[in-house]
Amino acid sequence: MTLFDYITVSLVAVICGLDRMAVCQVMISRPIVAGPLTGFVLGAPLIGLEVGLLVELLWLGRLPVGASIPPDDTQIATGATFLAISAAGIWNYPQPVTIAICLLVAIPLGKSGQLFDHMTRRANDNLGKKVDRFLQAGELGTVERSHLVGLGHFAISSLSTFLVVAGIGSLICYAIFPLLARYLVPAGEWLLLVFPLIGAAMILRSININRSVTLFSASFTSSLLILWLL
Amino acid sequence: MKLPVTLLIRTLWRSLLLQASWNYERMQNMGVLYALSPALRFLYKDEDLEEAYQRHLTYFNTHPYMSAPVLGATLAQEESRADGQEMSFSVEDFKSMIMAPYAAIGDALFWGGVRPLAACTALFFAGKGSLLAPFVFLTLFNLPHLMMRSWGFARGYVRGVSVVEIIQRRRLPDVAIRFKEGAVILLGGLIAFLTTETCRLSEIEAGWGLFALPVVLSVVWLARKGLSTLFLVFVSVLLVITVFQVIT
Repeated sequence: MTLFDYITVSLVAVICGLDRMAVCQVMISRPIVAGPLTGFVLGAPLIGLEVGLLVELLWLGRLPVGASIPPDDTQIATGATFLAISAAGIWNYPQPVTIAICLLVAIPLGKSGQLFDHMTRRANDNLGKKVDRFLQAGELGTVERSHLVGLGHFAISSLSTFLVVAGIGSLICYAIFPLLARYLVPAGEWLLLVFPLIGAAMILRSININRSVTLFSASFTSSLLILWLL
Repeated sequence: MKLPVTLLIRTLWRSLLLQASWNYERMQNMGVLYALSPALRFLYKDEDLEEAYQRHLTYFNTHPYMSAPVLGATLAQEESRADGQEMSFSVEDFKSMIMAPYAAIGDALFWGGVRPLAACTALFFAGKGSLLAPFVFLTLFNLPHLMMRSWGFARGYVRGVSVVEIIQRRRLPDVAIRFKEGAVILLGGLIAFLTTETCRLSEIEAGWGLFALPVVLSVVWLARKGLSTLFLVFVSVLLVITVFQVIT
């Protein structure tokens, strides 16, 4: 990968990260968009699409409600896509194995996103106190502009999470990849099915409607039978 | 004194940055002030302006998309206040009264309903390896989102505090439940599709995929017992590896 690749992928991580909380929220931050977008700038959109699909399903049920901070699935998607494309350029393992290992590395590292997000919100608390002082001093223009400083805090948080996932993730991948891949290769495609199955279970647990398990079971069984018979 | 259309558009535009300085203490307060400040500067001068700034720096938290009707109605109220008209309740009371129910409706409708429905539809495309998936998701999600932002803001400004009745009349919580049910049905189809594809690639009969259902239901049970996603992923991958090591 070139320096240009590193810069553009970091830029994608920051833009998607800002959409997640601070700007617009048109959902380019969702893994199903952030993954392919990262893959696109790195020249392998289909790897990003696969990563995006798996991460999207895994956390689709988590809602960003009030002061709760959900896992940073945006940076997990961008980071895991980055790791998978890098790994595919170094080792020649089947794609499902490469993606599975990169996801297993990226998901725990993505926890750092919750920490950075918490720090950002704390920094914005201090910003609020400063704004009160500006208002007392009659500096109304500064009061207004201070809001945009928060944007900078969220950008730093997104970049930091991405750097942790991509940077530390790369080191871990170099250390464990050939070792782990040896055990994962026989499982092949079945490894990747683990993520959607757990994701579906998590959605069923959190979605707040009656008969969700019945609806899911009926839909799953009938669809599978139709697909089998066709 | 009526606000010019350009200022209304500017407020709507600035409301896209509502959460840029989200904080634990007063949540979206600075975002509200940032969105409203051009209009406040038009309506008030000197001490009145400082008072207005103070008024909107208080605690505020609602769903970002549902903030549009609240901001529209707030502008209408500020207009009346600047004209010295009698008001049934203050701008501060209106905002604090409406933000929590709107947040609940927005969370259920957009995060809980529209997003899973749009995502499950788009993931069928992703499962087929089609790069249309992100576009399908963005289109399906943003049609209602942008409609709520623009329509909600305009209705809020035109109707003022009575915008509450319009939202009630649309029965949005019921719509959210229908969306959630639709998402669960699509999810069932999607998981069946992904399972069948995995069976096909592994060259085994798709009928074996039926065993995925008890797996999902077991994980639902385990998740309800409080096990985390991370833990379940690692344990499941370990189980899959072990099974295939034994088989091969």
